[in-house]
Amino acid sequence: MIGKPIPRVEDRRFVTGQGNYTDDINIDGQAHAAFLRSPHAHAHLRSIDITAAAEAPGVLAVLLGQDYLDAGFRGVDHIPNPADAVISSQPAFLTSTTGAVFNQRHIPLPIDKVRYVGEAIAMVIAETPLQARNATELIDVDYDVIDAVVHGADAMQPQAPQLWDGAPGNLCFQTQIGDREAAQKIIADAFLVVRREFHNSRLVNCQMEPRSAIGCYDATAETYTLISGSQGAVRQKLCIAAALNVPPASLRVVCPDTGGGFGPRSFVYVEQIAVVWAARHVRRPVKWTSDRSEAFLSDYQGRDQIIRSAIGFSKEGRILAIDNEWIGNVGAHTVSYVPMSNGTRIMTTVYDVPVAAVHVSAVLTNTVPTAPYRGAGRPEATHVIERMLDLAALELRIERAELRRRNLVTRDKLPYRSPMGLTYDSGEFARNMERALELADWNGFPARRDLSSANGRLRGIGMANYIESPVGAPRERIEMTVLPEGVVDLVSGTQSTGQGHETTFAQVVAQYLGVPMSAVRLRTGDTAFVSIGGGSHSDRTMRLGGMLLVDTSTQIIAHGKQIAAALFHTTPECIDFAEGKFSHSASGQQVSLFDVAGHVASDGMPDNPSMKKLFAEAEFNGRVPAHPTGAAICELEVDPDTGIVTLLNYTSVDDVGQPINPLIVEGQVHGGLAQGIGQALSEGCYLDRDSGQVLTGSYMDYGMPRAGSVPPLRVELTEDPTSGNPLRVKGGGESGITPATATIFNALADALRPFGNDELAMPATPVVVWEFIHRKQGSAHVI
Amino acid sequence: MIEVQLQVNGAGVQYTVPDHTLLVEFLRQNCRLTGTHVGCDTSQCGACTVNLDGVAVKSCTILAAQASGGSVVTVEGLAAPEGKTLHPVQNAFVQCHGLQCGFCTPGMIMAVDFYLRKPPSLSEASICHALEGNICRCTGYVNIIESVRHAAREMYPELDAPGSGKS
Repeated sequence: MIGKPIPRVEDRRFVTGQGNYTDDINIDGQAHAAFLRSPHAHAHLRSIDITAAAEAPGVLAVLLGQDYLDAGFRGVDHIPNPADAVISSQPAFLTSTTGAVFNQRHIPLPIDKVRYVGEAIAMVIAETPLQARNATELIDVDYDVIDAVVHGADAMQPQAPQLWDGAPGNLCFQTQIGDREAAQKIIADAFLVVRREFHNSRLVNCQMEPRSAIGCYDATAETYTLISGSQGAVRQKLCIAAALNVPPASLRVVCPDTGGGFGPRSFVYVEQIAVVWAARHVRRPVKWTSDRSEAFLSDYQGRDQIIRSAIGFSKEGRILAIDNEWIGNVGAHTVSYVPMSNGTRIMTTVYDVPVAAVHVSAVLTNTVPTAPYRGAGRPEATHVIERMLDLAALELRIERAELRRRNLVTRDKLPYRSPMGLTYDSGEFARNMERALELADWNGFPARRDLSSANGRLRGIGMANYIESPVGAPRERIEMTVLPEGVVDLVSGTQSTGQGHETTFAQVVAQYLGVPMSAVRLRTGDTAFVSIGGGSHSDRTMRLGGMLLVDTSTQIIAHGKQIAAALFHTTPECIDFAEGKFSHSASGQQVSLFDVAGHVASDGMPDNPSMKKLFAEAEFNGRVPAHPTGAAICELEVDPDTGIVTLLNYTSVDDVGQPINPLIVEGQVHGGLAQGIGQALSEGCYLDRDSGQVLTGSYMDYGMPRAGSVPPLRVELTEDPTSGNPLRVKGGGESGITPATATIFNALADALRPFGNDELAMPATPVVVWEFIHRKQGSAHVI
Repeated sequence: MIEVQLQVNGAGVQYTVPDHTLLVEFLRQNCRLTGTHVGCDTSQCGACTVNLDGVAVKSCTILAAQASGGSVVTVEGLAAPEGKTLHPVQNAFVQCHGLQCGFCTPGMIMAVDFYLRKPPSLSEASICHALEGNICRCTGYVNIIESVRHAAREMYPELDAPGSGKS
């Protein structure tokens, strides 16, 4: 079963309209919430008059931040500082030159001032959604508007408006990783120094399901229930229970079908806390569903990282040292520092770099908080080093692939410890690149360029190599119960937001237990039965969950052998297990896995008669050393008259480890690639740099990829086996996106070389490209 | 308030609703057919696509009252009600992995169903044009386009004949 491109078993309900997303759920007696949101990026709240709103038709309550604190609740701790990529028991960022690493509890509705356009200020609960929404317009807020700052570098200026008292200079932390003095010294003496600043643009998550949440409160038991789609119910439960000042057992979080994750939905949103608070306040279930306009103003956003890179090269093109300055735009609340930890750790990627250092600043601005967005720092890091290599190749007059060849970590150096402290256990970096060059006919490009030139088009080709890091929540759990009626019941702490877990988990269990896939039942996303688990992000599901599926399957087989041995009056060593049956070759007796479960149900386990279930559990807390890696090449044409960029083809060679289901893995590559193409060419969250007003507030002005955005693809999966986990899983969720902007921007720079060597703004929309060609100043700026 | 009468998936329904009720609200809230989704508020995303009187429409863009008297097919009514057989378009999405999170899928399927109600062009450009009004964040559209071709070939076997509009 493992390795087969099997259509997904969960699809039937989705294609027949039987999916069950949060907004599809209605609870008897529910009321509806709506939020008044700030029209200003930065303003003191002088006063808020709710009188008229409270008297409006159908209104049950109008709640403010002070009411929340008065109810005995506290702001949510997002735990922005993630587990370290290597030592997962400690945070990624231990020290800051500013003192402690800043972590501001996030009160659902602000008390003192608003800090970004779209921040929720007040919540109205009413009988209908429309009544609630209409009443928000009757709330009278007296704003004292103050200066705002939205650009990360602007926020570090001495005179910049300050967001939080606890973070002078708008710095959450500032830290140094690696030996910067040594790096700078080497760079100063290098044959060639390349310096460039890159602004990896801000993105809107745009998962297709608008966020939604239903809060319930049981006054008798004093317990809460939250129904809300997310990337992991357990994290939501722990963070929200802590904010509500109740033990975790007092909050049940139910996560039904979730319409896309991509990173930001791993974190708690204020509206999720607000609906359970409201439910207690009005003693009725309270439901809220975002509209898309709210999503553009309040869904945690991605990227917005500024990286100033300096790399010293030898005459022969060897990288001697890297010195990077990394400025991460955190937004207005401390939700996540993941992009900075992931990005800085991986920044030397697949290249053998003797010395590397990075200076990191996490900066608060008057913008929507940022969170991990597919790849989370790794696409940014890849973009920088791959662009720098192309720039160096031009200066050194070394062919671009050849320059990379001279710098790749060779197979014989594995396990290779990067200067940033990651250890790569496997990966044929050179072979992957050579295969991509071959598939893309890299050497035949000049002839194709001539053909395009003859048609008045500018043709370019670009490449990027990449590697991922095995990060994410380190803890995961699987429970497996074999039921006599022919079901293998799985409870998993991770859950799907579209990755097809019901299929891939069933494939693994079917393989190991020899049962049909249809016998496997996966239950996730409800803390009534899920106790531990980190959710879906960072390629972690099959890396950690798969390992635990193997572990629990192995335990089940061992238990089964004990029982079969008792039945056949022999010892477990004399029992074989194959194709779902335990057999005793000496006597020819056989018993199926499910019949064994039946014996356990009636007689209990041999060593524990009171244990009436054929059951296994396994838990893991740590890092699995698995590094997905690969290479990508893109060929494109630019129409110099319009600035329109047409991607002609895209080649991707991806080592995701052993693909459990190649159909699903390739789908992940496609989706990630589309997001990368979107970021490179059309998607940008544009804000007014002075006022902080949002200029891209809907699908009419935010450049989502459409059908046809992805060019003809050549995706080839390859594998250099990792020995770090029994399924040899590395991860496929981020392989498409990680090299995408680097590859496309290298191809664009190649196409536009006749017009100079400056860095194009991201996204390279037609107007950006046209202005580059026509040398006009003042191109569109993305913050 | 206004009275709205519709044939929905072959059955007559009648509700009195506020004048401003959108067709999608009527379907989701009054008819409790939650397969039709709301993904935006600017008629861009297409998650709410249904078939009204033979034409694919975005049900967020038409008042229920405007549709009154008409016949609506939603994703729930696409397959034959009896038995377990999927409509060829639904089946194609399953076979080709044309969906991931599934949220845009009902709208996609209803848009593709309309595109394939007459013999289609299977060129990339034509299919992309047909899908222009539907946004997906998960799939990169690659396997959705493949699903369209897969369904078309099942519905119109003659399309596989040489020189039959694949260009």
